[in-house]
Parts: sequence; C-alpha cells; structure tokens
Amino acid sequence: MKALRPYILVLVLLAAWEIAAHSSLWSPLLFPSLERIGREFWLFVSRPEGWWQTWTSLYRAFGGFVLAAVAGVLLGMLMGRSAFVASLLDPLFSGTYAVPKLALFPIFIFVFGLGSLSKIVLIFLECLYPMTIITYHGARAVQPVLLWSAQNMGASRARTLLRVVFPATLPYVFAALRVALPVALIVAIITEMISSVDGLGYLVTYSLSSLKTDRMLALVVVISLLGLALDHALVALRNRLVYWEKLDTYCA
Amino acid sequence: MKRALCILAGILVSTFAVAQEPTLIRLGRGFAAEEQLWLMSARPDLTPNQGKKYQLKQILFQANPERFQAYLAGELDAGTAPGLAVIFARAQGVDMKIVASISQEAAGKQYFTTAYMVKDDGPIKTAQDLKGGTVGVVGYKTATDLWARAGLLNAGLVPDRDTKVFSLGFPAMGESVRTRKIQAGTFVEPFYSAEMAKGGLRKLFTATEAVGYDHELLDIWFSEKFLKAHPDVVRAFLADYVAATKYYLANMEQAKRDLSKAGFVRTPVDIYVKNLDWKRDPDARVNVDSLKKLSTFMLDKLQWLEKPVNVDEMVDQSFLPR
Repeated sequence: MKALRPYILVLVLLAAWEIAAHSSLWSPLLFPSLERIGREFWLFVSRPEGWWQTWTSLYRAFGGFVLAAVAGVLLGMLMGRSAFVASLLDPLFSGTYAVPKLALFPIFIFVFGLGSLSKIVLIFLECLYPMTIITYHGARAVQPVLLWSAQNMGASRARTLLRVVFPATLPYVFAALRVALPVALIVAIITEMISSVDGLGYLVTYSLSSLKTDRMLALVVVISLLGLALDHALVALRNRLVYWEKLDTYCA
Repeated sequence: MKRALCILAGILVSTFAVAQEPTLIRLGRGFAAEEQLWLMSARPDLTPNQGKKYQLKQILFQANPERFQAYLAGELDAGTAPGLAVIFARAQGVDMKIVASISQEAAGKQYFTTAYMVKDDGPIKTAQDLKGGTVGVVGYKTATDLWARAGLLNAGLVPDRDTKVFSLGFPAMGESVRTRKIQAGTFVEPFYSAEMAKGGLRKLFTATEAVGYDHELLDIWFSEKFLKAHPDVVRAFLADYVAATKYYLANMEQAKRDLSKAGFVRTPVDIYVKNLDWKRDPDARVNVDSLKKLSTFMLDKLQWLEKPVNVDEMVDQSFLPR
C-alpha cells in the first residue's frame, strides 16, 4: 500500500478526467477520453518522427541548461566567496530576476535567427538566474571551520574554492539544477510554440490549430514524462555524487 | 402575509422583465477585416433591431483555436472565422454553420488581397527561387499558411521539404524579410501599407493568385443549437448586419473614423482610412463554391483533412434578408 501512495492522487485525477470526459457536460473535443489520448500517445511514441521531435526539444533544452549550469555555478561560487564580485553582480541579478525573459524572445529571433540558437539563448538566460542565485547562497553557507582547516593546511584560494567550497556547495548546486531543468524544458516548449517548425512545442501548436485536443494532450503527457524522467535522472546523479546527503523522491 | 405577497410580486415582476430582455448573442470576433461587424457595436444607431430583438456582445480573440475552444466551452453563440477554420471545425464534428460572408480575397485593383513580399534587391525573383528558403505565415493551418503552401505548390516546390513555412507575428514580418531571417513574408493591412511606405519590399504573389480564384476570407458562423432555438433573433441580427455592411461600403471613410474613435482599430486613422479594403459582398452572400474548392485543396493537396467535409451542409444562408 505504501508503494502505491505516490500514485493515488494521479489515479484520482485520471479517474476524475475520465468521468468528466464521459459526462456529456463538455464537448469530447475539449475533454477527450483517456482512451483517445492513449491512442494518440501510442501513435506518437511508435513513430520515429515522434522521437526525432522529442530529441529536437531536448537538444534545445539541454543546450541552454548546460550552458547556464556551467556559467551559473561559476558566477554563484565567485559571488559567494568574493564580496567584490557579489557587489558587482548582485544588483544586476536581483534587479532583473523578475523580468519575464520571454518578452525578449522577439529580439533574440532578430539577433540569433529563427532556428535553435535564439531558443537556446533564452533557455540559458532563464536558467542562469536560479543556477547563480542558489549556488551563491550555497557558497556563502560553507562552514567556516572547513575554510579555516584548508587555510591552515596551506591551500591556495583557487584550491580552496575547488576542493572545499565546490564540494560543500554541491547540494545547493543540485538543488539549483533541479529548479533549472524543468524551466529549461518549459522554455524550450514555449519558444517552439511561439516560433518553430519542429519540436514538441511546435506539435502542440499544430495539434491545437487542427482542433486535435487528444493529440495535444498526448504531447502534454510526453512532456510530463520527460520532465519526470529527467528529474529522476538528476536525483540519481545527485545521490551518487553527494553521497553524504541522500535525497528521497517518493516515486523513485 | 403582506410581506410574502410583496416578495412574490417582486419575483413575478423581475421574471417578467427578464423574459422581455432581448436574446443575447455572444459573438467571438477577430482583429482584422471585420469592419462592418464591429460597426454594429461602434454605431448601434445603424442597427434598428439591436436592443429590441437581440443584444450583441462582441468578445475579442487573437486566434481561431481559442475562439473555438471558448465556443466548445459554451461561452460563445457565434463568431467570425476564416472559411477554412470552419471547415477544420466541421471536420472535427463541431456543430456550427456559416450564415454570412464578411470579407473575401479577390483580384482587382480596387480590393486589397493578402500579399507575400520579398526583399526588393534580394535574389528571390519568382516563387521558384524560394527553394531552400523560409516563408513567414501568421500561424499553422491558418489561411496565411494555406496561401503560402498554394504559392509554393504552384511553383513546383514541396512545402516543408523544399521550403520551410514558419509561424511569425504580422508585426515582425517586415523586419524579418529585410534582415533575411525569412525570404518571404505575409502582409495584410495595415502592415502592408506601412511596409510599402518604408520601401525595400516587393510583392511576389497574392493570396488570390496563389489559389487561383476569388474566395471567402472571413465569415460569420452560429452554433446550430442557437440557430434552431432563435431563428428570428438570427434573422434580425443579420438584417442589421447587412444594413451595417451597406452603410460601411457607402461611407467607408466615415465608418473607419467611427471605428477608430470607438477603439476597434489602433492604426493611425489617417493611414487607416487610405488603406485599400478587402472585397465585401453588400448582401453578405457567401461564395460557397470557393469554400468547396478550398476544402478540396485542403484534403487533396495539403492533406490537412482526414475526410471530405460537406460544405453545402456547412453553410446556411436562409437567415439572410431576401
């Protein structure tokens, strides 16, 4: 019973959906049955085209995410350990965190083109903020006793940063990665919905334009499963690297 | 006892008042080429039946899918849409019927027809030169998408394989063509006139040239349920609509100024009144043959439909004034 607990709410929601779909209260075009969504889902995963479109979205999401992870960790660590860098960058990050970067997408299209680059740049920008800010707080929270020990043993600043601050900040870095990864996927899908000729977001828009709600919802399921799988993979990696501080996911 | 009687009388009076209220038509509208319909709200004095036999509430939608979703959710009784969008909806089993025409894509110097333009000094001289390039349309499976694909097919190109068809907003088309992000873009008024004034762009083909015949652009549709429940209301509405259309065609400049004043149009009024207008039938008659041809094209050439759509069943012009 305990093993089933994480799925209870999902099953309740699916049952509620099925009841709504068969209630005749709403058009089946708005509320297609789970069977129709399942059929479209199967059609999608059984064709190579579906996998190609999924890869296109993942490639964009990962492109921006990896760049943001590298830059964000670096900036966050520097801000956390250097008052000078923090005073330089903190106003910029704090002042622009709330700006919806998506509003900049039309400009990015003009600068970086209609293809993947404009999308990757926007994903990078959206992910950079959580990566930098969470890493910054992690780097600031390193126990002083660890730093004193490193200094007593004659470690240089760079060595201390690499061998002491970075490992101590890793739990925060992974927390940032877990925040940034779904953001990367969401932004990839949204930018593809706005302007693209491929990817899952494009297929969502295309399905909506054809009034194929069942197909659109099958794509939503694909995106949800991708998000879930990526999060599980990240947690598994975290538990391997941050072995001293295990993390639980209930449906792992 | 006295108090109870007073309450009962109050309820009866208010029920009677509600029963006397004219039927409300909740109509989903768009943002271009529907002037005579907007005029019904901007100038209610032109519509003698409004407020007496029906009430009109126009709700703005940016795109067709949202409008149809609102309709399916029971939030709309009627709306405007391109003929091909209604064909899509009918193919999915949505119960709606076209009852009147709003505007048409037609050849002729006196009419505006949607233009596909390229960079004046660029390498694209004919549609065949679009091979390997990109055409900007305003949305997938929209009329602009259909015309672009028709233009490419006419030039012997296979859309998506030889030439990409890319979704882009109207405001971004001009700059995208100039900066070669796309090789051809879709231009409608008022963007067409604004871009022509800037210069540097040239017409490659028009919507009418692409499909090869004059055809319906926008139509008015009603839910079949509403048509059955309130036939007299629809007749009264369409009588006013035809009156507004005739007024619009006879007094276009004044009508455009009224629409601008009422906030229906954001284009500077001096530019707006000078723009060429789409063809509009004064009696709001629908060009059914053109819808049939579009439907066949969508089915056979574009594979946009899984099965044929009966266009005759989709259009009902019996509510229009005789």
